[in-house]
Amino acid sequence: MTDFLGNHLNLNVGLLLPEIILAVGSVLVVFLDMFWEKAGRGSAPLVTFLTLIAAGVASASDIDAVDDFARMVSIDNFTTFFRFMFIGVGIMLVIGGWEYVDKHVNHPAEFYALLLLSTVGAIFMASARDLLIAYLGIEVLSFSLYIAVSLGKNDNRAGEAGLKYVLLGGVASAMLLYGLSLLYGVAGSTQYGDIAGALQGDLTGLHMPLILGLTLIVSGLGFKVSAVPFHMWAPDAYEGAPMPVTAYLSATSKGATLALFLRWFGGPLLPAIGDWQWMMAVIATLTMVFGNLIALQQHNVKRLLAYSSIAQGGFMLMAVTTVSDISASALLVHLGGYVITNLALFLAIIQFYNRTGKEEITDFAGLSRTNPYLAVVITAGLFSLAGMPLLAGFFTKFILFQAVVQGGFLWLVVVAVVGSTVSLFYYLQVIRQMYIYEPVGDASRWTISGSGYIATGVLLAAIVFVGIQGAPLYTVADRAAFALFDGAPVAAAAGHAAPAAPAAAPKAGGH
Amino acid sequence: MFARLPLPSQFDRIIITGGLVGVMVMGPILIALVTLYMMSRITGGEVVFYLASVVVLGGAIAAVSLSNLVHSALSLIATLMGVAAIYLMLLSEFLALVQILVYGGGVIILVIFGLMLTNAQDDPVVLDGSQKPFAFGVGAMICGLFVAAALLAQWGPLEANLVPFPDFGKRLFGDYGLPIIIVAFLLDIAFTGALVNARRAEHAGSKEAAK
Amino acid sequence: MIPLQNFLVLSALLFGIGFYGVLARRSAILILISVEIMLAAVAINFIAFATYRDPKAFSGLVFALFVIAVAAAEVGLALGIVLRLFRERRTANVDEASSLKW
Repeated sequence: MTDFLGNHLNLNVGLLLPEIILAVGSVLVVFLDMFWEKAGRGSAPLVTFLTLIAAGVASASDIDAVDDFARMVSIDNFTTFFRFMFIGVGIMLVIGGWEYVDKHVNHPAEFYALLLLSTVGAIFMASARDLLIAYLGIEVLSFSLYIAVSLGKNDNRAGEAGLKYVLLGGVASAMLLYGLSLLYGVAGSTQYGDIAGALQGDLTGLHMPLILGLTLIVSGLGFKVSAVPFHMWAPDAYEGAPMPVTAYLSATSKGATLALFLRWFGGPLLPAIGDWQWMMAVIATLTMVFGNLIALQQHNVKRLLAYSSIAQGGFMLMAVTTVSDISASALLVHLGGYVITNLALFLAIIQFYNRTGKEEITDFAGLSRTNPYLAVVITAGLFSLAGMPLLAGFFTKFILFQAVVQGGFLWLVVVAVVGSTVSLFYYLQVIRQMYIYEPVGDASRWTISGSGYIATGVLLAAIVFVGIQGAPLYTVADRAAFALFDGAPVAAAAGHAAPAAPAAAPKAGGH
Repeated sequence: MFARLPLPSQFDRIIITGGLVGVMVMGPILIALVTLYMMSRITGGEVVFYLASVVVLGGAIAAVSLSNLVHSALSLIATLMGVAAIYLMLLSEFLALVQILVYGGGVIILVIFGLMLTNAQDDPVVLDGSQKPFAFGVGAMICGLFVAAALLAQWGPLEANLVPFPDFGKRLFGDYGLPIIIVAFLLDIAFTGALVNARRAEHAGSKEAAK
Repeated sequence: MIPLQNFLVLSALLFGIGFYGVLARRSAILILISVEIMLAAVAINFIAFATYRDPKAFSGLVFALFVIAVAAAEVGLALGIVLRLFRERRTANVDEASSLKW
């Protein structure tokens, strides 16, 4: 089969099987809820869980594939990495969050359907090889989140958070699109490969539209990843949203946007690196500095984590600044560690909220007496985010900083290290409440549900495992980054002694 | 009986004011354009283009500056229909049709419904923020930068040709089949969203009643 | 033939006007109207570039069609949320909805 221009088209639908399963599952969830009330409230999370498992199994068959669907979507290890990540986030949220959803979310079935559909959007953001697919992926994910943010039950912050998110999101999409239209005008195509070719060619007389287009693209994407001049939606949306949605915003939404950053700035936009590198460095710096400083003043734990995840986004944008196969691989390692840690933290806080219905930092007083297990999970999560040794955050940050230094941006790493130190202060506030202060009121012990133990336990084990033995994650990330850059693998002997991986010459930004 | 309704007189006022403003703005421009055309300085296509641009920009300026919400929405119609004319100038009739159908038939109605439902009582509403000068500065800067970029860039050899309907259809439903399916997801999501947000009060009420 | 620059200038002005509206307006529905104006500018740009710089593949025409579809869906979605907020707070202004600080 050939397309309109005579190019060969590969229409093997099997390549999109995970996405198809997820989409069908989402329809199933809604219909089951509508037509089969006897199934009760248990059916939606169960069907969602099974759908996600099935999609995960289907993705496993694409490991090491190098293929594309209809010149629109590329199926490679990078795509597979993010498929597993997003599906894993979904599974953890269903296991750890279903009780919360049952109690505090307005339309549980629609919540699960949106969870599945937004995962499809996120996967398309990571796998697109045409601007149109990437844009539609962004919108599928954003639309789901606009709705999911406003699903809170009996929470008068939900509508307001949703409204702010949808309006600012619309403006950001418009800016991103205007930038894409200028890019299309300069390059004359929406295919990633053709854009890269056009930007390598002669651009005389087209520099001004290109730079303006890149500015708008960076701003629009910076909004989606809540980088600092464009972050004002994030704390409100994080606070007003139901907690599983907050966790989803900080994990899948951020991961998908960073995947898009890597796909775009490591692929079609790489030839124009001289034009955008400084923008990215400025945004990364602002994000790290202001994210950490504003977090110091927060007293609501969701807002605290919102600013903390803004600051973490700054660390990751730092790796986009120096984009190369090394820093892409480092970014994927850090993203993996960050997603595991953040999910553990959020699921623990969800369990806390299920019991107490409170979310101020001072409400955590004495948690080490009333529920030592949750206190340990939260402490491990916070210390991992701050980058304490023996936990995931230390290893991943180490790799990330090393890659950025190799990319020639030592000053960015200095800012990041200072930011990390500052972040320890606000993480310690929560830990201090849990361990030093006495519980207020009822000081009797309580336990969490079995599914809560499973979800937090798996993630806690993962945090510790990655912290002690990071090589498997590093190997996987390296293979994913290798798919992005068609050069040699970063670490030829990947799998051991990860931080000392031999440095292949950075192909980009090596000036 | 109809005399008691305030509607007709108000409509008359809108039509008269709008007509007067339209004639006063468009008249001189039309005369200038026709004169230029007579002197063969510009082509017929350009006359239409400039007229459409005046409608588009005038409508847009009115939509972002008028203090009456309904007038703003009505000005948006002028802008969007003018944009459809611009699409015709760009040789893409299909998109012009889509623009008229989707915006004229759907979006505008939706916006006006939104206005009716949210502005039911005559509260004094604050329409404009205090940061108007700042907004004006940013808007002017953006206009300036992008106009400069458009004018200073050398766009190289330009050729324009009409895209026939069948070719467009083949490209859209052949090569772009996957995006069409993704847009189907998107509409599904938007539909769900509108439903869950609109249904909420009733839902909660019925649950309370059930208890 | 009308030069490409004319269309680009028109779209740039339209985009700037829309951006001004987003920043200056406080009513959620008027902000939505401003976003629609910005998206119209985007569509003009895509179609102009497709017609003049990419006449063989005309991907921009298809892109513009999708932009129109997404914009329409976005209005529906956003108005749903506006109505809900209005029911809860009796306001459709973004600065009156401020129990969360910006």
